[in-house]
Amino acid sequence: MEEREDCIALQCRQYSASCREFSVRCQPVQLRSLSAATCSVWLAAYWLFVLTQNSMVLSAAIFITLIGLIVYLHFVKIDQESLLVIASLGIQMTSSYASGKENTTFIEMSRVKDVVINEAIYMQKVIYYLCILLRDPLDPQSVSEVVPLFQSSKPRLDCLVEVYRSCQEILEQRKTVSQTL
Amino acid sequence: MVENSPSPLPERALYGFVLFLAAQFGFMLYLVWAYVPESWLFSLGLTYWPQKYWAVALPVYLLVTIGIAYVLLFGINMMSTAPLNSTHTITDNYAKNQQQKKYQEEAIPALRDIPISEVNRTFFLGDGSN
Repeated sequence: MEEREDCIALQCRQYSASCREFSVRCQPVQLRSLSAATCSVWLAAYWLFVLTQNSMVLSAAIFITLIGLIVYLHFVKIDQESLLVIASLGIQMTSSYASGKENTTFIEMSRVKDVVINEAIYMQKVIYYLCILLRDPLDPQSVSEVVPLFQSSKPRLDCLVEVYRSCQEILEQRKTVSQTL
Repeated sequence: MVENSPSPLPERALYGFVLFLAAQFGFMLYLVWAYVPESWLFSLGLTYWPQKYWAVALPVYLLVTIGIAYVLLFGINMMSTAPLNSTHTITDNYAKNQQQKKYQEEAIPALRDIPISEVNRTFFLGDGSN
């Protein structure tokens, strides 16, 4: 749990010895910010109407508000991001949007080299983020791709370290499994 | 081959002084051209000048360019930062092609780029055999 102006919550669930799920839940859409945005758009439209005396401005403002809200809820606002790690199968990332849409990506375990906490420059800051390193099929020691996780909630280091430790416990199991085979 | 050094030399003093005189002369010429009315200059016989419009336009162009350059530099920096999903945040050509030196007892280990998995294990899991 982290205390910031926008709180995010981490939940870890263990389904079995080799399967864990981590969900990061962001703050839902606040009524306060929603009404503030609507009021400002409508006030601006009314001011334009007073200037131009064209009533199309008002209907356009209502239209824009509705379409903007739908687009925001369906394409922009992510409510919950979760990571499901199954040692023998793979890793699945799910993002669920505020409108209920869910986006799922699955990476099979043979492609995964490691899950690490990387630090990089992002918008005039240096941030820590969790990422999956994918193996290059031609050269097993090199990294072909980096898949960043929890992109919209961007948890801080304490949250990431917990997820990292848990993930490493699961990933060690796949090494022991492959060595016994 | 003479080494490059920033120490003062007689040639450099000469160049500096010539540049100083030329700059002063250029500035005085610019002021004369901008302020002296055209009729006076014509009466002296000097008729082939650029339009006086440029006496104001060129400094303004220069200042706007300097202002835009700040924004442009900022933008170029942001554009050339590697995105979060690129491998350049983890490794690069030099690290991929580095040679592994043999480990010698009681000697300082050779400098090398440590892979990120190892770094993470040492920092966050608290164990590290090396």
